[in-house]
Formats: sequence, structure tokens, C-alpha cells
Amino acid sequence: MNEEYLWDKSGEPDPEIKQLEEILGTLRYQPKPLDLSDEVQPRSRNRYLPLMAIAATLLIAFIAGALWLRVRNKTSPQLHKAGIESPQPKQVVPHVDNEKPKDVVVANKDGRDATPPRIKEIKHPRTLPASNMTASERQQALEAKEQLMMALRLTSEKLNLAHRKAQGASPNQIRNQHKVG
Amino acid sequence: MKLLFHAISGFICALLVIMTTITTYAQDPRIRLAHLDYLAKKASETVDVNIDERLIQLAAKLFSDKDEDEAQIKKLVNGLKGIYVKSFEFDNENEYSSADVDSIRSQLREPAWSRLVNVTSKREGIVEVYVALNGADVVGLAVLSAEPKELTIVNIVGPVDLQKLAKLEGNLGIPDLGIQPNKPKTKNEQ
Repeated sequence: MNEEYLWDKSGEPDPEIKQLEEILGTLRYQPKPLDLSDEVQPRSRNRYLPLMAIAATLLIAFIAGALWLRVRNKTSPQLHKAGIESPQPKQVVPHVDNEKPKDVVVANKDGRDATPPRIKEIKHPRTLPASNMTASERQQALEAKEQLMMALRLTSEKLNLAHRKAQGASPNQIRNQHKVG
Repeated sequence: MKLLFHAISGFICALLVIMTTITTYAQDPRIRLAHLDYLAKKASETVDVNIDERLIQLAAKLFSDKDEDEAQIKKLVNGLKGIYVKSFEFDNENEYSSADVDSIRSQLREPAWSRLVNVTSKREGIVEVYVALNGADVVGLAVLSAEPKELTIVNIVGPVDLQKLAKLEGNLGIPDLGIQPNKPKTKNEQ
């Protein structure tokens, strides 16, 4: 037996070795594309998966944001009222008036009523044809209007106060004043 | 590896949404006033106005278009998203603290807010006017008036015409509700 053949394939090979080579040679690596049957084909990945993941993330974030806003709005004070609280509350005798109702009680320090409150008598909710508002909506609107007028008056007053002070103040009193735009 | 990529991309998207929400919230020209409610107990007179956009729209329906004054107010409030006022008048001085004023002032910082006027007087207190700008448009107004016996904060959210607003006082029949009864005026109103 020529053992050199087993080392470096030199010399005459042994017939058994040669036969083994021929048998096993069929299993030698052949460079060709992998051919897999349909049964063993891997499942193709859903190419929309990334988009779905992003969409789901956005949806969750949107829902979370909406919930947060809802909770925030519920917890924030919704004081749809305006009033002057006096340390000496005075009993107010409302009288019924069908004109412009005012349920905002305003009293000065000395207990005098600045504006006598008038309460509109509402028997049944009804739709007002002129404004398409129900009586309760109209009542709410009147309250809002009262608040609005009070807020605007205060704002206007303070703006004018700032204006007057800025005009009358010495230069070192005005720390910062510049135009907008 | 791809799973990691998807997780990272999802996280980035969520982060963007959160940052956008936070940025939007930060640019909201509404200032928080609720923490001042405790002053109502000390105050002799309190004005608390909270009108959101829905109520403004509701109230605007009651303003007549035929009446010139009311039409002006209607035009002025049209588009506003909220009006919030807190005003406390005290019998004595030093009823509110500088921390109360600072808590408001800290919300009125740049770049969201720009200070238009700041008049400071040791005797008469301070008056500060701030506007929130979106480009050249005014999208919010805040007035902080801290006098020895009075603290007033006005916050208007939405497009505000300052000149028209300032002209309202005494011109449009806005009723004097006795918020400031006759008292010795020490202010420099000249």
C-alpha cells in the first residue's frame, strides 16, 4: 500500500482507496445555487410589518395624548363663573325680569350691590328661533357674556394703566419696552 | 437584527410624537393660574374669569351686529381661544408673596413670550404686559399687575388686537362692576 498517496496524492493509489474515492466523490461539494423544495421554503416576511409597527406606535401615542388631554381638561378647573366675593355677603333679593338676566352677584366692600342681580325665570327649556339656542344655552351664553365683558374691561383697564405708567414713569422705571413686529 | 431596527424606528417615532406634543404644549399661550386660588381666602374681592373658546363663541352670538359697540367687541373676541382672569384685592398690603408673582412670571419667558412693557415702582408695584408671538402675529396676551393691595393676572389666548382692546375702557359701555370701588388713588395716572 502506498501511504504517500494518502498524504499528498503522489504515487500509485490503492485500489480500495480509489474505489472509496469514487463512491464518496459523488458527495463532493458542487458549487451551485441552493435548491430548496417548496415545503422547506421559509415564510416570506411581511414587508408591511415596519409600516404597521410605525402606524401602531403612532396610534398608541395619539390615543395616549388624547387620553391625557381629556384627563387634563377634566381636572383643570372649569369655573364658568365670575363674581366678586365680599367678606360681608349681603342678601340679595332677586326679582324676575325677562329682559337681560344677570346672575353674577357683584358687591363692593361695603356690601352695596354694584349691579342689582336679576334672574331670568325659566319655566321650560325652549328653542329660541332667533339664535337657535335653547333657553339653557342662552342662559349660559349670557353668563359667558357677563364674564367676557368683565374680563375685557379689566384687561382694557390694565393695559391703559400700563400705558399711562409707561408714559409717566421715569426712564429707569421702564425696564423694557419695545414694539412688536 | 431587523427586529431591533423596527424597535428603534418605533421608539424614534414615538419620541417624535411626544416631542411634538411637548413642544405644542410649551407654545400654548395659556398660563396656569390655579395655584393662586388660595389667595381668594385672603382677598376682600376676587374676580375669577374662565372662558374657553366654546363659551366665547356662545357669548359672541349675543352681541348684536347692528350695534356698533357690540359689533366691535364681537369682532375683537372672534377667534379668541380663551380668556382667563384672576384678580385679588386685599384690605392690607403684603397679602401675596413675591413667589406668587414669580410663579406667573416664570411662565412668561422667551421665546414663547415677549415682554412689551415693564413698569416697576416701589410704591405702586409693577405692571408687565407680555405678548405671545407666532411670527408677527400676536397669539396671546398676558398682563401682570401687582400692586401693594391688588394682584391681577389677565391671560388672553388667541389673536389679540391690543389697540382695540385698550380702547374698550369707557368707550363701549362696558359696565363698571364695582371691582375697584372708590379708594384713595395713589397711582400716577397722568
